[in-house]
Amino acid sequence: MKTMKVSFNVNSEDVTLDVRPYETLLETLRERLFLTGAKEACGLGACGACTVIVNGIPLRSCLVLTPEVEGATIMTVEGLREDGNLHPLQETFMEKGAVQCGFCTSGMIMTAKALLDRNKRPTKKEIVTTISSNVCRCTGYKKIVEAVEEAAKRMA
Amino acid sequence: MILPQFEYKRARSVADAVALYKKEKGKAIYLAGGTDLIPLVKLRLREPKAVIDLKGIEDLKIIATRGGSLSVGANATLFDLKKDPVIAAHFPALVESLDATACETLQMRGTLGGNILQGARCLEYNQSLEWRKARGFCFKMGGKECNVVKGAKVCFANYCSDNAPSLISLGAQVRLMGPGGERTVKLESLFTGDARALFAMEGGEVLTHILVPLKKTKGAYEKLRVRESMDYPLVGAAVSVIDGKARICVGGVGAAPRLYVLGDIRDAASVRDVAEKASADAKPVANATLSPAYRKKMVGTLIKRALKRSLAEGKR
Repeated sequence: MKTMKVSFNVNSEDVTLDVRPYETLLETLRERLFLTGAKEACGLGACGACTVIVNGIPLRSCLVLTPEVEGATIMTVEGLREDGNLHPLQETFMEKGAVQCGFCTSGMIMTAKALLDRNKRPTKKEIVTTISSNVCRCTGYKKIVEAVEEAAKRMA
Repeated sequence: MILPQFEYKRARSVADAVALYKKEKGKAIYLAGGTDLIPLVKLRLREPKAVIDLKGIEDLKIIATRGGSLSVGANATLFDLKKDPVIAAHFPALVESLDATACETLQMRGTLGGNILQGARCLEYNQSLEWRKARGFCFKMGGKECNVVKGAKVCFANYCSDNAPSLISLGAQVRLMGPGGERTVKLESLFTGDARALFAMEGGEVLTHILVPLKKTKGAYEKLRVRESMDYPLVGAAVSVIDGKARICVGGVGAAPRLYVLGDIRDAASVRDVAEKASADAKPVANATLSPAYRKKMVGTLIKRALKRSLAEGKR
């Protein structure tokens, strides 16, 4: 089948790629751009491990066709670092021990990043509601919620 | 999970989408948020030759007040609608059902049109092709009989939209445009009652707008769920009180939401009667994560809860 030319900006870099029309954004990010931070777990939009931020909105990249993101601005967990420093969310996730196997972590961080971008001082309840979009099967969610709370404090 | 091969087309207008559909000779499928469609395609439950993306159609994103109705473009996302001040001021049942749908991230991608036109769900149906082949195809997939109720030549899959029941309780209509022109119908008449083909729609029709009568209502939406996030309703009950009358709509059990009208919301005997009748009408089978007996009983319970909260005007 004929490929399609798609252009978008990922982690502040413009890219133009030839992709299959039935290729998911997750496949493009991982297999063409080697941005393997977003993970494939369920592949059906139920878990959130593949979450990336597209035009300011957290999206499950396993449910998005790459042609759909023509012209979009995308941020993956690899794009969070600024001037060699980790993002406060990355630091607090490590400090609070909010990572066990780590498979859900990049999705959790991107979901939390989108929350902190639109709401600088979220309440604990708002954090819990947002984080309930993502599934973690090891730690439970307490430390993850604490890490987001602490990051919000540091960024304020 | 890898997608099967299909073409991707972008529609610039509804007329353009319908023209593209005709060109594909009925083997195309419309795509909005994709949160329901893409998993179905991945599981090989839908196998389109082409996908026509409607997201670029500006007209389908507009939320506006027109002639006594709130007109909601089908591509408006559930998250944006939840935050809409007009909806918040007029339609409490809809605000609650929007909030109860899936999770925040999916609400930001999922559209109201797509939420209404989602497929029916069953534990035996929403499975991979390998799983379904090993089990033997059920009635919905073209097999001889239902895999849940042995011998049944009926499909018992559940229609699991949270928002269709609340929209029906509000008396909403939907506008459709297709190869045969434009029409506006009551949302409840969009359902066939057959879970194998849920909607009375012609091939190529696009749901363009949802029209909700703009009146201040009281109301509530109650949802039976096990995770409090990301899960579909095992039973859903919406209540909207308009001009002293309650419209009650039950979803999550069977192929179509069921509507009941209650003349006097404060009359305890008629409240009990409608709750009992709705429980009796519901025919759940063992195709969801909770037992049929429990779901059946909860139909009446959720109606009573939703009515009580509608009256109290209070929070949960």
